[in-house]
Amino acid sequence: MRKSLIMMLSLIFVAGALVAGCGKSNNSAEPVNTGTTNGENASQSSKVEPFELKMRHIEIGEPNKNRLARLEAVKQKTEEQVPGLTIKLDGVDSEVNRKDKLRSEMAAGNPPDIFDAFGSPDIGVYAKEGLVLDIGPILDELNLKERFINLDPWTYDGKIYGLPKGGSIEGYFYNKEYFAAKGLEVPKTLAELEALAEKVKADGKVPFAQGSKDAWVPLMTTNNLWSYYAGADFTAGFKTGESKWNDPKMVEAVSKHQEWVKKGYFKKGELGIDYNSQRNQLLTDEAVMMYDGSWASSVFNDAVDADGKSKFGFFVMPPLNEGDGFSSMVDSNNGYGFSAKVADDPQKLEAVKAFIKTFFSDEVQLQSLKEDGLLPSMILSEGDLQANAANDLIKEIILRMNELEYKWPAFDALVQAEVNTELSSGIHRVIEGVQDPQAMLDALQKVQEEANAAGE
Amino acid sequence: MNKAMRNPLMYALFLIPTFIGIVLFFIYPVINAAFYSFTDWNGIAKTYNFNGFANYTKSMSQNAFWVSVRNNGFFILFSVFIQVPLIILFSLLIANVKKLKGLYKTAVFMPSVMSTAVIGILWGFIYEPDIGLFNNVLGLFGIDKVYWLSDRNWAMISILITNAWQWTGFYIVMVLAAIISIPKELDEAAMIDGATGFQRAMRITMPLIMPIVSVVIMLSIAGAMKAADIIIVMTKGGPAGSTEVMATYMLKHSITSFKYGYGNSIAVLIFIFTLIITALYQVLVVRRTERIEY
Amino acid sequence: MTKKLKGSLAHILLLIYLLVILYPFLFVVFSSVKTDNLAIAQNPFGFPKEFQWTNYVEAWVNAKISTYFLNSLYIAVIAAVATIIMASMASFALTRMRFTKLSPMLYQIIILGILIPGNALLLPIYNLMRSTNLLDTHWALLIPYAANSIPFSVVILTAFMKSLPSEIEEAAVVDGLRSPGIFARVVMPLTVPALVTVFIVNFLGNWNEFLLANYFLSEDSLKTLPVGMVGFRDAFSINYAQMSAGIVYSVVPVMVIYAILQEKIIEGLTAGGVKG
Repeated sequence: MRKSLIMMLSLIFVAGALVAGCGKSNNSAEPVNTGTTNGENASQSSKVEPFELKMRHIEIGEPNKNRLARLEAVKQKTEEQVPGLTIKLDGVDSEVNRKDKLRSEMAAGNPPDIFDAFGSPDIGVYAKEGLVLDIGPILDELNLKERFINLDPWTYDGKIYGLPKGGSIEGYFYNKEYFAAKGLEVPKTLAELEALAEKVKADGKVPFAQGSKDAWVPLMTTNNLWSYYAGADFTAGFKTGESKWNDPKMVEAVSKHQEWVKKGYFKKGELGIDYNSQRNQLLTDEAVMMYDGSWASSVFNDAVDADGKSKFGFFVMPPLNEGDGFSSMVDSNNGYGFSAKVADDPQKLEAVKAFIKTFFSDEVQLQSLKEDGLLPSMILSEGDLQANAANDLIKEIILRMNELEYKWPAFDALVQAEVNTELSSGIHRVIEGVQDPQAMLDALQKVQEEANAAGE
Repeated sequence: MNKAMRNPLMYALFLIPTFIGIVLFFIYPVINAAFYSFTDWNGIAKTYNFNGFANYTKSMSQNAFWVSVRNNGFFILFSVFIQVPLIILFSLLIANVKKLKGLYKTAVFMPSVMSTAVIGILWGFIYEPDIGLFNNVLGLFGIDKVYWLSDRNWAMISILITNAWQWTGFYIVMVLAAIISIPKELDEAAMIDGATGFQRAMRITMPLIMPIVSVVIMLSIAGAMKAADIIIVMTKGGPAGSTEVMATYMLKHSITSFKYGYGNSIAVLIFIFTLIITALYQVLVVRRTERIEY
Repeated sequence: MTKKLKGSLAHILLLIYLLVILYPFLFVVFSSVKTDNLAIAQNPFGFPKEFQWTNYVEAWVNAKISTYFLNSLYIAVIAAVATIIMASMASFALTRMRFTKLSPMLYQIIILGILIPGNALLLPIYNLMRSTNLLDTHWALLIPYAANSIPFSVVILTAFMKSLPSEIEEAAVVDGLRSPGIFARVVMPLTVPALVTVFIVNFLGNWNEFLLANYFLSEDSLKTLPVGMVGFRDAFSINYAQMSAGIVYSVVPVMVIYAILQEKIIEGLTAGGVKG
């Protein structure tokens, strides 16, 4: 027993030494940007109180390693601009941060100084209570206000409370090699898409990769379906009472989703599969298509050859009739907000300003596009965009985005949190087949009306 | 006789730390939760309104809430009627074998030292439909794939099995300890009288370990009412809320949906239900055998 | 003959149970040295064909097991010790001191706590911690952990202390000891077996606790093992082999400690349990 304990300890020791070694080599590999000097600060006295800025981000794990590297570079540059500043990064899983962590911190009145957040409806709830910094003045000073494609989700009561990191659209990633081998073509109508799924299924493969454990994943598909059946602007009407969840068009859309499930277009047992695992279905050739956001494109970087040719392509869900115009969610809902408390501390305010200036720059936007296929949230020149699209997949995504005729925000940005909660368990029931779409939507409409009546 | 043991100041000093803990972490939170359960506070705003029993009537009218209550019920029934008999059986077996006793004692306890989070991950592999252990074994007998965690007919039972796997050994060790401490003379006397092993187990051992079995049942019930971790790490309450229990239902509403007041009404209901169940247990079962109380 | 048969039947049943307990561990250990997901998928529960030890190095770096492990260990130990000190003092006063009317009442109040589900009170405790500015420090776990296990500990310890013969402190009083002296020098040493039981139960409770730890701490360097492992799973769910290595790291040290202390734990439970 003692012997094995000693073994264990020495193992831990060796591993620890290895970690230390790795850590060091990482640091030395990082480019040290000594070139930037700041005239403003040079004149200031060298005696500056050191201070710390807490920053919550969600760039954790293997798929986000490029994002994290970029964030760390921005951190370093920002620290160089502001004397005494240390930015402390705290990475948390996206869903955990959005739904649990940040909400409980907001409830406690002490969010991190800079935090990853979702624009609508979250930031509005926080802004209403005065918990988030109004960054309008900073944007004016830095001349950034007009540079963003869309700040609506971040605007509450006419003031701007946060900035989107990037943009994204949603659609189908598909296995190009498989399509070519079987002589399949990118569908132009929903009926063609269904015919395609039928063929894939007959070939013994899963048509659509999907991991529905978290309800927002299948809801991306549902949301796109109803934007075709009921119209792109329909979702915005739920909150105002103009649109009803149990509208016949909505029932039709949700029924279509259920029909696909029943026909076996998704992998069986999808309700037990994690979001991250749905990519595996596509990567291992188990499935042929996958509905996901363009943010997922970096997952397929490994499938790109030296010439930038990718094994995977991207198309938007096609309309009901040919030529009706493509419709997709266009999102700029994920980004950074800032604690209102920052305003009380001139040093911190200065640091936040420097962070915004560094992070929301052409350079970082283009780098994000190049490395991760993250679409820009800021207005950039078409030439820059094409030059920085590193592979065919990303070029294709940009192409599809430019073809879009209808662009709309995801439903969760347009309805109250409890409506989202109800729809989330509702879509699970529909996928399971224990409730029909009509009954699910009737119940949902009731929750919507209650929420509207509560005046939130 | 001894003033030392009647000194009120000393008495107070001995009890104060415990009562500070009890007041801060049991009495205050219950009162606090009860207070906000009568409001519409969203947990963030600076203001809130009193809305009487609206939160309570709302939760009572929600189907999803009763599903979570039912699942807590499954937890209790499974613990009491399946887990406890197994605990007693295995304790008796281990107590009576002569070889390998040490190995059994060590091994059964192992799952209890793993954190629930790790167990959730581990059992995720076992329940995996395509490559998981269970379906592999079933496949040997030509039985079709079972979607353990994504089929509502199986999801809850899957969680209960995992939970039992984690805690059975812990309780076995407790019961085993009680069996081992029974004076050997009792057993030997019965053996001389010609009682069989089974008779001795039922007539001598069982009555003597009833108090500890009572403790085990009480702890199981309390544990069943509190269960949340295992569900969060295994199914997140899915599919479609079919494995939601009261505690996870409360968290989902109070924090994720910005309904703090509503969530607190659920917290109060959990407390009330636990009180009722344990009171019932005390009245129906414990009083007849032996009270474990003061 | 029949006796032998019965004996082997018992062993067969127990060995089946053992298999059920140990097999999942083996699966993790095997998976942790397999090359990738594909290798696990093709041969999920069999012996690995190749050994990929680098999984362990990478998991150690990525999962920060050392930090989480040490946090969990010291929080679980300190909170369990604090509980024992408070609970044994209270139990001593309730059982050995002569306040026969007050004691049963106070005892009832304390054991009511067993019935209050801690998770249900997450939100008020969260507010308590936030108003005292303890969130995001280890105090936010140490204090609630220590307090939460008081009722259970008091139940076990009073049961044990009650069973001690009253002559012992009479002798001590004759020797001139006051109540703190009797508590520390006479009753406590006799209570050690029950204290071990209570310590183990509380330690495990704290060690496994997930909810409070998940909500009350956000800084990575403060996280405990259960939260760290779930975060690790979320971040690296694509790499099962590395995740298995992470699990092995998190489990083996506790197993070693348990194997060493095993006899003591059973002894402690024996002493405490029966009286309960």
